[in-house]
Amino acid sequence: MTEPTFDTIFDDLIDANEELQGFLAILDALLPEASMLLVSEAGAVLEGARPLTLAPPVREKLVREARAADGFVAGKADNGARCHAVYLAKLSAVLIIACAAALEDDWEPGSAITSLLRNTLELAQYRQEREMLVADHEQSVRQINILQQQHGKLIEDNYRQYRLNQDREKEYARKLESEIAKQTAELREANARLEEISRLKSDFLANMSHELRTPMNAIIGFSELLSETPLAEEQLDYTRTIAQSATSLLTLINDILDLAKIEAGKLELERLPFDLAEVVGNVAAMFKIPAREKGVVVASRIDRRIPKRIMGDSNRLRQVLINLAGNAMKFTEQGGIDILVDYEREAAGQIVSRFSVRDSGIGIPADRVEAIFEKFTQADGSTTRKYGGTGLGLAICLQLVELMGGHLMVASEVGKGSTFSFVIPLEEAPAEIISIAEHKEAGREKIFSGGRILLVEDNAVNQRLAGILITREGYEVEVASDGAEALEHLRHQTFDLVLMDVQMPNMDGMEATRRIRKIEADPALRQGYVGLRNLQQPLVIVGLTAHARKEDETACYEAGMNGFLTKPIIKAKLVMILSEMMPPATCPENKDPA
Amino acid sequence: MPSAKDIIRKFTELKTLPHVAIKVTQLVNDDRSTMQDFEEIIKLDPVLVTRLLRLVNSPYFGLSQKVESISKAVVFAGMRQLRNLVAVEALRGMFKGDDADFSAQKLWLHSATVAILSGMIAKRIFGKDGEDVFLAGIIHDIGLIVENQVAGEQLREACKAFREGKGPLTECERNAIGADHAEVGYLLAKTWGLPQDVLSSIKSHHLSKQGKAVSSTGSILQLAEFMAGKMQYWPIAGPIEPLPPELAEHVKEKMADYKIIIRDLPGEMTKAKELYESDE
Repeated sequence: MTEPTFDTIFDDLIDANEELQGFLAILDALLPEASMLLVSEAGAVLEGARPLTLAPPVREKLVREARAADGFVAGKADNGARCHAVYLAKLSAVLIIACAAALEDDWEPGSAITSLLRNTLELAQYRQEREMLVADHEQSVRQINILQQQHGKLIEDNYRQYRLNQDREKEYARKLESEIAKQTAELREANARLEEISRLKSDFLANMSHELRTPMNAIIGFSELLSETPLAEEQLDYTRTIAQSATSLLTLINDILDLAKIEAGKLELERLPFDLAEVVGNVAAMFKIPAREKGVVVASRIDRRIPKRIMGDSNRLRQVLINLAGNAMKFTEQGGIDILVDYEREAAGQIVSRFSVRDSGIGIPADRVEAIFEKFTQADGSTTRKYGGTGLGLAICLQLVELMGGHLMVASEVGKGSTFSFVIPLEEAPAEIISIAEHKEAGREKIFSGGRILLVEDNAVNQRLAGILITREGYEVEVASDGAEALEHLRHQTFDLVLMDVQMPNMDGMEATRRIRKIEADPALRQGYVGLRNLQQPLVIVGLTAHARKEDETACYEAGMNGFLTKPIIKAKLVMILSEMMPPATCPENKDPA
Repeated sequence: MPSAKDIIRKFTELKTLPHVAIKVTQLVNDDRSTMQDFEEIIKLDPVLVTRLLRLVNSPYFGLSQKVESISKAVVFAGMRQLRNLVAVEALRGMFKGDDADFSAQKLWLHSATVAILSGMIAKRIFGKDGEDVFLAGIIHDIGLIVENQVAGEQLREACKAFREGKGPLTECERNAIGADHAEVGYLLAKTWGLPQDVLSSIKSHHLSKQGKAVSSTGSILQLAEFMAGKMQYWPIAGPIEPLPPELAEHVKEKMADYKIIIRDLPGEMTKAKELYESDE
């Protein structure tokens, strides 16, 4: 395909000589005194503004000569005027020009006129080309403008998109926020539900402890009472078995409750002064009798560098030692059991000490060492059957020792024995603190003097049991089955001491205690109560509760009780607390004036 | 005789515009679409990605740094140039097949020439953005492709009649097929959701009178069609319809401008070839 040109495309539209015409027009304007003719390649004759007439033969001859020549060719016009022809290669045309102002001689080649004319012709041609260049330039300008517009649009577009993206991001953020808020709310709700469940569980546990202890109370109490009645040897044996089983069951219940408390994070250690040697000595003493029966020697020893009186939770420490010694006892058939407290080092004012319970028993295989600290597990499934126990003891010890800031460890060799040990810091008790335990100790010295006791208890079995126990100790007993009834009794009678069950229908022990304290504080009210009217000091009230938890104890004291006794009632404990709490030397005239 | 709509129905049962092309066209028409949306679509088509990157890295864009990410390329190319890129890609596949009476390949060359000329006229003479006119040029004869697919025999009859001087091509088509390619192309392009002036320019590109302004897409397309025909970029031999008088008048006025366009066309075509077809 040949390169297409404007002429081939728009042939219908254009005058073939249009370009020549344009050139002639420009030249006309440049040479106002000249008359001209332009002859195209095809022979078309174009006239300038000022016509130049030539006879066709003359003109054709001149054109032929000009095409052949390399410069101006002279000729004569019809009017006799001189004219010159020149071939314009760029236009493929011959220009015939006549100018009156130019002299004949001026047309010599190289003359000023011819040079001038040539320049003029070139100028005309340049002017014509300039039109094209101008159009070209204009097109370029338009294209540049478009690019600028596109550029502007691009920026605008980017900005628009930036805003769109921002909007979208905001939308996402909003969605995300609401989603997070929703999930947080759900989690909070779930958490609250879990807390509620956990609280319900704790309550359930507390209630269970009450529910379990009440019948245990009866079983232990009555079997103790039964064993004191005249019995045949066989009957006595059965009764003791009942008492022993009930005691183990109670231990198990206490263990389970302890573990539950520890796991719920509810167990807090007390921080009171106590005599370490006494605690260790007591534990050793506990095992001396059963050990002697087995032919095993129990010994204890405390390093002299360890202070005598230290701060801490003596009950929990005792619990751990009893557990460890009990285990040692269980698995040792010969040799000895040593309970040792060794000085390790002193750090930050505390004596870091090692407690060890060493036995010469059957030992624990290495691969079972870890397992024994797990709940309900013993060294070997068969040991449960052979030696008994719940398997809870070590799990509790482990946790208690950790609470005390130590870690329970075991070193054992099968057939040679085991050593359970833990290292805890001990703090010496300041001298000024007088131990409550010592107080109690002092109370025990008091001479027994009898007295009247009001027993407030809703459970008929417990009423009977406690009633019997108290009467046996030489006290008089009056029974009320709830708080309201107790108040009613106090209206008409005097008592030296009230044993107040905490959990009762109608009016519970807490409420009754609070009311009694309120009446005592108000002289006018007091007049209505014979039992409170003439008292020199507040009536002694001892709480009875199945809830062995620390917070229960605190609640009793807060309600205004003077003492606290956990159920099931153990005879020894009852006797002790009664003798401690009973006001000394009650005057006969103060006693029951009715 | 089937109507233009029947022909379109039959055709769309045979062929559909690629998903990418339709999606991009929709995005161009949607004010809320962003470059990211384009990117999501483009990146599904590796051929398009290559072409797009080649486009923005060509001297035409004159960027100082090489663009290697799709998102940047999308930004530089702009939405409509991108759409044209996709359209060229999508349509080229349809312009296949060659025989004595009707050459789809020649028609493609014709369409490309018309598109490039249209773009040049729009930009250089009217100073307006050439992207829509380019699209109109690329797509204006799609009706012939449709007819070739659906009614090949009748189309050949029409071509023969046209060659023998039995009237304008559209008239011969209506006689032989029942519809003409301007109408058929218009209906097809309408289903693709192209801009309104592109649609109407397709419909009017064979009219002997141009009702719209000389600078309208329709007029530009007709001018380009005429010029391409005169340059022998025309698949169906036969008499070339004369330019409507108002357009002829316009060319006479802007003679210098059109001379320049014709002068520059071969260069522009080479450039377009590089941009759109360089991997062939």
